[in-house]
Amino acid sequence: MSEWLENAISRGQKIDDWLNPKRSRALELLSTTKWPTRKTEAWRYTPLRAIQSTKATQLEVVSELTPLAIADLSAIELVFKNGKLDKSALSDTLPTGLTVSLGSELAAQQQLQAIADFSEVKPDRHLFGLVNDALAQDVVIVNVEAGVKVEQPLRISSLLSQGAESHTRVQVSLGEGAELAVIEDVQAEGETLNTAFVEYFVSPKAHLEHYRFALQTGTNVSVGGCHFNMLDHSTMHSTIVAFGSDLSRLDTDIIHSGEFVDAKLNAIYLLDNNELFDLHATVEHAMPNGTTEENVRCIVGGRAKAVFNGRIHIHRDAQKTLAELNNRNLLVSKTAEINTKPELEIYADDVRCAHGATSAEVDKQALYYLQTRGINRAQANVILNFGFINELIDLMPNKVLAEWIRPIIRARFSAMKVN
Amino acid sequence: MTVQVEIDEALGREYEAGFISDIESETFEPGLDESVITRISKMKNEPEWMLEWRLGAFREWLKMEEPDWALVDYPKIDFQAISYYSAPKSMKDKPKSLDEVDPELLRTYEKLGIPLIEQQMLAGIAVDAVFDSVSVVTTFREKLQEAGVIFCPISEAIVEYPELVKKYLGSVVGRKDNYYSALNCAVFTDGSFVYIPKGTRCPMELSTYFRINEQNTGQFERTLIIADEGSHVSYLEGCTAPQRDENQLHAAVVELIALDNAEIKYSTVQNWYPGDENGKGGIYNFVTKRGICHTKAKISWTQVETGSAVTWKYPSCILKGDDSVGEFYSVALTRGRQQADTGTKMIHLGKNTKSTIITKGISAGRSNNSYRGLVKMAATADGARNFTECDSLLIGDKCGAHTFPYIESRNPSAIVEHEATTSKVSDEQMFLCRQRGLDPEKAVSMIVNGFCKEVFKELPMEFAVEASKLLEISLEGSVG
Repeated sequence: MSEWLENAISRGQKIDDWLNPKRSRALELLSTTKWPTRKTEAWRYTPLRAIQSTKATQLEVVSELTPLAIADLSAIELVFKNGKLDKSALSDTLPTGLTVSLGSELAAQQQLQAIADFSEVKPDRHLFGLVNDALAQDVVIVNVEAGVKVEQPLRISSLLSQGAESHTRVQVSLGEGAELAVIEDVQAEGETLNTAFVEYFVSPKAHLEHYRFALQTGTNVSVGGCHFNMLDHSTMHSTIVAFGSDLSRLDTDIIHSGEFVDAKLNAIYLLDNNELFDLHATVEHAMPNGTTEENVRCIVGGRAKAVFNGRIHIHRDAQKTLAELNNRNLLVSKTAEINTKPELEIYADDVRCAHGATSAEVDKQALYYLQTRGINRAQANVILNFGFINELIDLMPNKVLAEWIRPIIRARFSAMKVN
Repeated sequence: MTVQVEIDEALGREYEAGFISDIESETFEPGLDESVITRISKMKNEPEWMLEWRLGAFREWLKMEEPDWALVDYPKIDFQAISYYSAPKSMKDKPKSLDEVDPELLRTYEKLGIPLIEQQMLAGIAVDAVFDSVSVVTTFREKLQEAGVIFCPISEAIVEYPELVKKYLGSVVGRKDNYYSALNCAVFTDGSFVYIPKGTRCPMELSTYFRINEQNTGQFERTLIIADEGSHVSYLEGCTAPQRDENQLHAAVVELIALDNAEIKYSTVQNWYPGDENGKGGIYNFVTKRGICHTKAKISWTQVETGSAVTWKYPSCILKGDDSVGEFYSVALTRGRQQADTGTKMIHLGKNTKSTIITKGISAGRSNNSYRGLVKMAATADGARNFTECDSLLIGDKCGAHTFPYIESRNPSAIVEHEATTSKVSDEQMFLCRQRGLDPEKAVSMIVNGFCKEVFKELPMEFAVEASKLLEISLEGSVG
């Protein structure tokens, strides 16, 4: 076991609060978990050196940090600063039907429910999910009542100052027929470490729009997860944008627990320098008639490393499932690296499943074509590479967010050195 | 679901090659230690360096752990309960011609339809038949010798061509490569050795039939094929085994070396006993097959896997030389409680290397069929190209079909394309066939044969016929 994990366990053992039953369970599981090595399938391509050597620690002092402004976006702000919820940032008047509370401040009955729900969607196999169970600082419970359509998106920002370590946790429940958009983002300065996990409970006929932006780069270590439990006729649309860092890893689990669930997941990677981003996207089709569509596109330059594992698991009863995964990768430098593994595990016969994966550079003929039109090579490269991911930006349901992220992605790409 | 009912009704076909031939055998007591390895080496009159090589592998093996990453489930193997040597007794007086061979043995081959007598001449096949662990008879040696081709049992090659064996044995699959290959290095008793000289096109297709006969006898074949510069060879491997209750372990190693401009085509039809419908018995097939391609060389693996209780097999190509080509065509059919975890590895090191992977997995009954493959583009593999297509067909709602492709690319100019689909034999297809008077069994067989056509067309003619027949027979049991 690593020193870092031992230290985390011993810190977890000292916490005594309302979540004790779940924390002790996580600690027990952690005590028997082996520290991942290159031989651990889930961490095969993602070394954990950056965690072992990090100097980040949990800081008591909350420094002055403000979430990155998103022009024209009017969101309900849920701000964590070095892992602690900043209550002052939260609006006093929330839309009717939406409640945001600290788990520790819930009434007894609701707290029991929160304890029961905690870690029910997130699978136990996520090592750092268990660390988050044990160390989560402020656990926030978000609830949307049945039938309520929340107009404003809810933005969960996790802000970290230099040297900080944070463990944030949010539990989001959507009642029957409810609608909510959630934006998750992390901003970190310098050498930091954060685990950020969100569990979603999506009731029948509810709709969840989801975004996760992992735009922090450099010496930051980010390990997180988004876990979705989908009931009958519920739908979700998720967009992930990641720039990578020393170590950046995200696990998503979409669980079709009800029939006729429709799930869409689009992910964009744009990696440069020595950055690493690792997305493990798992879809569990446990019930019939579900549909899943996943699109993952990566552009990898510098000495960066992209890791993708897309697992679709069709259970015995999940007949009439339609599942598709498409993973396309562009390598733009000779030292970049892509490791991808789209997996299908199928136990039902009346299903249609397909996955595809490609890795290449921009088509030389397309480049030549643009050059013959008087566009210089560098510009042509930007047009083609950017076009490759622009398609996914166009699919973002929230146009304000799409217009905000588009120039950021463009700027990032323009700064990348392309062969 | 009337079609399904009919399919299920026809379950329970007997294994056609399930008989035990009664031949007296000289067999080691079960167990494995250095003395057993020394004994094997002595029996084979091996030189000292070979024994040392085996012992080195055994010491490595002791330090290794059995791999557990494949999607297969079987009881733990007791390696001390296996006998590591078994030879038909009549071998003692070394048959010089077919007439001297134990007639019981010949009858066994005849039952399996192996043309060991005159038909062979017509078929143009030289057979190096492995009955348990010792090569019993080799035909057509002289004709091959005329062309300068060496085709003999590996035990003989170790004695007669030590410099070739020394140079190439373990050069592609090293002694420490994996658990089962290390075990094979330590205890292999026989197998085939092929050397095709420079610029030679092997005058006939070479073929080995394997049989597992003695109870509790592991089979540890070792095959080494060297195609020297500009040569060409097509090698056929086929297997059947008699019905047994005890699980039998098979851990073979096949090494192919294709030097500059050489081409090796390696075709396998595997039909070992898969166990009964409750998953009792059957062969454990844990095989390591790998080839290395030098400049402009080509290695093509084609396999039709219908047998064995558990299959763990990944025929691979290391594309070391520039412009070399690797191919993998596979049909894997599982039924009953069979489990197959099979696929390939294409390691692109040279410039402009190309690889093609076409696999067809068919799962029926309560079986599980996985494709597991790796395509690796090294930083040096400028302009390399891979195309992978994995299709799975599910027959029945109690089986599983899985795909685990690993893609690792470190070269922007290398192009990798992978696609996989999974579907079932549709009711519409069945309806159409039945409308035209085909019974369900024939209809499924026809649809499945069509599904596998891309792979079958890569097989040599004799094998293609056999493979399609084998598929039909196998489906009788599970499709109906």
